[in-house]
Amino acid sequence: MLAVLIAIAALTLGLVACGGGDSINGGDTESEEVKLEGKASGDLTISNWPLYIDKQTVPDFEKETGVSVKYIEDVNANEEFFAKMDPLLKQGESGGRSLFVVTDWMANKMHELGYLQNFDKSALPNFEKNLVANLREPAYDPKREFSAPWQSGMTGIIVRKDLAPDVKSICDLFDPQYKGKVEMLNELRDTVPLVMKCLGIDPTNASEEDWLKAIDKIESAANSGQIRRFTGNDYGGDLTSGNAVAVIGWSGDAVQLQADNPNIEWRMPTEGCILWSDNMVIPVGAPNPTAAEAFMNYVYDPKNQAQIEAYVNYVSPVENVKPILLKEEPEVAKNQLIFPDQSFTKNCTIQPSPTGEEEQNLNRAFNAVLNG
Amino acid sequence: MSGGGTWRWLREHAVQIVAVLVVLYMLIPIAVIFGFSFNDPAGRYNFTWVGFTLEHWSNAFGIPELNEALVTSLKLAVLATLISTVIGTLMALALVRYDFFGRRAANFLIVIPMATPEVVMGSALLSFFLLIGSFSLGFQTLLIAHVMFCISFVVVVVRSRLIGFDRNLEEAAKDLGANSFETFRLVTLPLIMPGIFGAAMLAFALSIDDFVISNFNSGTTVTFPLYIFGAAQRGIPVEVNVIAMILFFFTCATMGFATWQQRRAEKLTSVRPEQEGGVGAGVPAGAPAAT
Amino acid sequence: MRRRVAPYFLLGPGAAWLLLFFVIPLYYLAKLSLNAGVFGSYEFSWHWENYSDALQLYDTQFVRSFVYAGLATLFALLLAYPLAYTIAFKAGRWRNVFLFAVVAPFFTTYLIRTLAWETILSDQSPVVSVLDFLGLAPEGHVLATGGAVVAGLTYNFLPFMVLPIYASLERIDARLIEAGKDLYASATQTFLRVTLPLSAPGVVAGTLLTFIPASGDYVNAQFLGSASNQMIGNVIQSLYLKQSDYPAAAALSFVLMAAILVLVLIYIRFAGSEALMGEEAV
Repeated sequence: MLAVLIAIAALTLGLVACGGGDSINGGDTESEEVKLEGKASGDLTISNWPLYIDKQTVPDFEKETGVSVKYIEDVNANEEFFAKMDPLLKQGESGGRSLFVVTDWMANKMHELGYLQNFDKSALPNFEKNLVANLREPAYDPKREFSAPWQSGMTGIIVRKDLAPDVKSICDLFDPQYKGKVEMLNELRDTVPLVMKCLGIDPTNASEEDWLKAIDKIESAANSGQIRRFTGNDYGGDLTSGNAVAVIGWSGDAVQLQADNPNIEWRMPTEGCILWSDNMVIPVGAPNPTAAEAFMNYVYDPKNQAQIEAYVNYVSPVENVKPILLKEEPEVAKNQLIFPDQSFTKNCTIQPSPTGEEEQNLNRAFNAVLNG
Repeated sequence: MSGGGTWRWLREHAVQIVAVLVVLYMLIPIAVIFGFSFNDPAGRYNFTWVGFTLEHWSNAFGIPELNEALVTSLKLAVLATLISTVIGTLMALALVRYDFFGRRAANFLIVIPMATPEVVMGSALLSFFLLIGSFSLGFQTLLIAHVMFCISFVVVVVRSRLIGFDRNLEEAAKDLGANSFETFRLVTLPLIMPGIFGAAMLAFALSIDDFVISNFNSGTTVTFPLYIFGAAQRGIPVEVNVIAMILFFFTCATMGFATWQQRRAEKLTSVRPEQEGGVGAGVPAGAPAAT
Repeated sequence: MRRRVAPYFLLGPGAAWLLLFFVIPLYYLAKLSLNAGVFGSYEFSWHWENYSDALQLYDTQFVRSFVYAGLATLFALLLAYPLAYTIAFKAGRWRNVFLFAVVAPFFTTYLIRTLAWETILSDQSPVVSVLDFLGLAPEGHVLATGGAVVAGLTYNFLPFMVLPIYASLERIDARLIEAGKDLYASATQTFLRVTLPLSAPGVVAGTLLTFIPASGDYVNAQFLGSASNQMIGNVIQSLYLKQSDYPAAAALSFVLMAAILVLVLIYIRFAGSEALMGEEAV
């Protein structure tokens, strides 16, 4: 036992010797601009979310440009990806990645930490020309200097219409007749703002107390067994098998899940939805940014985008995709979830994102609910 | 058989019956995985039975990313198993056979990794790799990590075999003129082989299964579990079931072959009569009975 | 002289590996656990509050983890001992088949097995109907309950229990059992007085190899449990990967390690320390 104590003591003393003020994170917010080198060539590593691209786009891009692409699907959640990348990015490395895709608030956070490079727009004519109007000036990147939307989407309700025909609003999810059959996303910025809407609070200008009020409501529903569990994308499996009948979920998923079970249906909550985008960004230390920009420019060609869109089924950030799909895949083109019109999303809110100390407090409170 | 006879038979074989039930319990999920490898799901999720198809078996290696992940995992597991088994066995020998200064500290050093949550190990190791800077994240950092978390388990398993080992056997070999190395190779090693083999299998299983630590230290390398965890969120392709079953059958075949080889070798030399032979290592249930 | 150097040679490679790739990283983690501040500006400052916070905020999950892990270990022992005993003494030429059956499922990947249990225990499955009929599913479903988490843990760590028990049973000298039979006559007595004590190192090793990883596990709770069944591993995971609260996560990790060590030390006080710490007592 003595040896154990000595070991612990040694460890502690070591702390004294080496203690001091090294901080774990830091970084300036002055972003460098990528340096382009002639025509795109060489290798390109892209990290994206699973099932977020069709099978043909990457080979087509390789054929057209001669760039050899390593496309990895290793982004499963913003925070997890961040935790994995943070130690690298802090040292100015990207782990070989030239491009990856993260949600608005994460792109913002990474930018503030100085982890992202600004684009050289001279290589992005398609992006300049074809980005849809309503995504051109987001609050966190008003000139679209470091983020280029990959896909947009809506967070709302997905139901089994055979098992939960009457769920039409977020408030309905708290109806005791669905006890143990309701699931919510484990995402602070999706679930809590929607519940705020049920409470009649506008998430856009919500105070910390407003957030906490909604978190309280979620907590009591979790404790009573109303909410079966909190999920990521895996609510899809529970809906398919009937373990869950009504969940908070993402629009593109709802479209894809209809193939699994035609009774799975998206419902725009009567309170409205949450709108968000996932964005392509170029991290610091990215090798071959020239090829990265070539890829971004490629997917902003409406013809190429149509091919992605037909597979992915989220909301495309690229103009003039609908006319192409009307000819090729009219069902996709006419779907309100893929090409929503203004009236469909009139009650929806752009995803709010708390920062700094407020973010830490809310994260703590929300995760305390997730972990019971 | 009369009712009383049946009852007696059941009572006498109660232990075996429980054992068979436990084995069935262990195999239930495998049966489900096997069954659903023939499923023909309509969409992304392979959770409810839709219809029978052989398509995914004929297309078992049709997903290039999955194949690449599998090959990476197998290479990693084999190397990590080899390295950790060798150095772990040496450590176990030192700890059981010798009394030396620092032994308790060494014991402590071996126990702590097993008591460390994987998340902790993974992230601590990542910060270290980045701080040192001379490691590029990828296969080599994965290998380092896997060996690291396998060592302790190897030591514990091998040590449990070494404790209570009949040292008289070694003495006898030395009396017969064998030198230390010969004694080790011809007496000690064969006797602790079941322990070593068990440890190696454990190490292999730990390595091929690991997600958390790998997730931190993989860079852009994708292992089989990393692929599955990614896919699990949005529906695992049926090919994953197929490959899991191929792994299963392959493991069975390898173990079967190893045992068969072992038995053949024993028959040829037939030094030790009447033995059952553990997996890959023919050691009689009561080792000293053989001498 | 040679005898004095030999253990260090044998120990060397492994010890170096663990020092370099485990102890040193852990040291950085210890430093991290005493950082203060919000994300982006964590600073080392002997911030011991991280530790008191860890205990105060997450005591429920600590207790829950150890209860779940303890139950899983108990069930695993009850299942594993008869199996290991059968393999070692009764299986005859079926021995290898049994061993394959224990080990082979564990080459199909943890997550796939856990997801298979999700299919087996889904709300519409006949298994759940039967359990419901027997009154074993009071909430009407099995998934998303503590029972499912314990069942998953038991299943996933069973080989960690079976293999060491088998290894220690298998090396028992058959003559001892024969002698026991001569002395005590009854099979039960022989088992209790000879076989069981002789297999104790295997049982101790097995319980530790099951209990320790089970208490830090998070996969089972994540897939098979609900919000009120999450374990301490899930909390650490979430602090690290979701909240980027590295100091809190590091502090909690150390508390967990310390708690496990204390439990283990108490346990080997009673059970004997051979399996874990070598032949000497600690």
